[in-house]
Amino acid sequence: MHKTLLGLAGATFGAMLMTSVSSTSAEAACGEVTITEMNWASSAVVTAVSKFIMEQGYGCSVTKVPSATLPAVTSVAETGKPDIVTELWINSAPVYKELEAEGKVVKLADVLSDGGVEAWFVPNYLIEKHPELATLEGILANPALVGGKFHNCPVGWGCRVINDNNITARGLRDVKGLEVFDHGSGETMATSIAAAYSDKAPWFGYYWAPTSVLGKYPMTAVDIGPYDADAHTCNTKDDCASPKASSYPPSEVITFTTTAFKESNPDIAALMSNVSFTNAQMGEVLAWQEDNKASADEAAVYFLNKYKDAWSGWLNDEAKGKLAALLNG
Amino acid sequence: MATFDGLFDTFGLRGWCGEGKTDGPMTMAELLAKAKGGAEETAWWDIPFPSLDNLNKACGAIPRTRDMTEGVANAFLDIKDKLKFVLDPLTQPLSYILDYSLSFFVGMPWWLLILLILALSFYASRSVLVTIFVAVCFLFFGFIDHYSFAVQTLSIIAVCTFISVLLGVPIGIAMSKYDWFQRANIPVLDMLQTLPTFVYLIPLIFLFSVTESKLYGIAIILYAIVPVIRLTDLGIRLVDKDVIEAADAFGMSSRQKLFGVEIPLALPNIMAGINQTIMMSLAMVVIASLVSAPGLGVLVLRGIRNLELGVGLIAGFCIVLLAVILDRVSKASLSRINAAQG
Repeated sequence: MHKTLLGLAGATFGAMLMTSVSSTSAEAACGEVTITEMNWASSAVVTAVSKFIMEQGYGCSVTKVPSATLPAVTSVAETGKPDIVTELWINSAPVYKELEAEGKVVKLADVLSDGGVEAWFVPNYLIEKHPELATLEGILANPALVGGKFHNCPVGWGCRVINDNNITARGLRDVKGLEVFDHGSGETMATSIAAAYSDKAPWFGYYWAPTSVLGKYPMTAVDIGPYDADAHTCNTKDDCASPKASSYPPSEVITFTTTAFKESNPDIAALMSNVSFTNAQMGEVLAWQEDNKASADEAAVYFLNKYKDAWSGWLNDEAKGKLAALLNG
Repeated sequence: MATFDGLFDTFGLRGWCGEGKTDGPMTMAELLAKAKGGAEETAWWDIPFPSLDNLNKACGAIPRTRDMTEGVANAFLDIKDKLKFVLDPLTQPLSYILDYSLSFFVGMPWWLLILLILALSFYASRSVLVTIFVAVCFLFFGFIDHYSFAVQTLSIIAVCTFISVLLGVPIGIAMSKYDWFQRANIPVLDMLQTLPTFVYLIPLIFLFSVTESKLYGIAIILYAIVPVIRLTDLGIRLVDKDVIEAADAFGMSSRQKLFGVEIPLALPNIMAGINQTIMMSLAMVVIASLVSAPGLGVLVLRGIRNLELGVGLIAGFCIVLLAVILDRVSKASLSRINAAQG
């Protein structure tokens, strides 16, 4: 009995050694890759899917770096790490454009191909009861119907500056019975939506999609007037002299990498420039994740199983061969 | 084939589990196995821990961990309305006090408020040096345009410290009088000091509105009340038994003993507790700003989020200065009391 156990252990140890050797030789082609995981649901899915493909298809050893928009961009600017930053909402990180102009970073893909949606939202149940709340005029005329509060972004967020300028332009602070409430963090914003939903209470404020919050608590974007490119550019600045009202343009949501990484790892750069999700796909995956109370990894698995046609097109031939068992399964 | 299938079959629990297993979402590990071609048999040395998730794979009747957490959430949401009915009116005065104090501090002209603060710090510390230091600091805040932020922070700390002392000292006295009360309270105090703030703040947002100032008030008070309770309890327990005996011999009632003997003798400890309470409420300033408290914490958050290093560092330095002021003033009054007793 002892002998068989020992023999078994020896055999498996050997096998483990073999696999680790073979994986190191595969890694030599790609090596270590660091990729950001932003602190929201869709980004976690993008990162998990990319990590799986890079590791299984390209033999990389991938480290996830939990991060947020500005720390990630600054870290790349100052240290050249992490290698890949994904789901960067350019609207909220204007400094990215400077880095791109300096040639430090390259855009790889629009990771959400339809672009993100930023807007002022009202819950659907409120619109059904009071259709006039679908426009900003309707809200300004009946502030009591939305609870008398506009939920604004926390200080330090890109949207805070834009909202503040739009608030000035539309005179929200002058409306009697409407108070602009500045949140302290994204967590309290999300919770205030969830709390309002659980009581079917009024809510009016800024949010963005695709997010699991909007997936779980459907809301309607309020019509705050047309998009005016010049006005919006001015609104993004803290010291905009004469703010004019403008709705948000579709947000560019991108994956980028450092110029150095692109040169040393052309295969991975080519792969990541293909990794892109439509809003319909991402919305469906996030809704599934919410319904099944699944983790980001499980949502990534769901995507990988369900949308084989989408992601098989991202791979080069070698990776297709490695992942054949999964693609044809 | 799930690892624990055999377990349930052996004990004849298959019927209870139900034949129709719920297919949980595929995990990353299963996908990896699939990608490698075919599921591998689990070897004996990496048998998974029999956790809820792993048992659920074999037996659908066992809830998964996420069902358990979901259950906790639903249980909270179910009792939410009743809790709200009790707690909301009970805590409402806190919102009023915080709002009034804020508008009082911010509304007062700067020269008047600084004079008041100087008078108060001289009255408390009786030290010209400390008073001059306070004056220099406040002029510095004004000079670098941080005055209004510092004053907002000061207002919040003043209210929260006041309420902490108001509630904490009686609780501490009760703890020193009744051993069972002390035994019941110490775990609660330990928990208040270690529980991450957001764990109880997020449920609180469901109870109250996020727009209420009491939200950050509660966060600060729950954290800062601990030292004043602990040290009041300790101080009264440390009062010399001989002195109590003498008081008994004089035929003092327990009320006379408490106010005439025990509290005065415990005062150095109580004051040390108050000093710690002030410091801890200052430590919560940044976290309180995450739930919309105004003041220096907002600047620190802005510095962190926009990576405006200067803004963050200066705001942080101002918080430190405020802490030094409060510490010096309360320490000076503490040593005055000590000297008076010595």
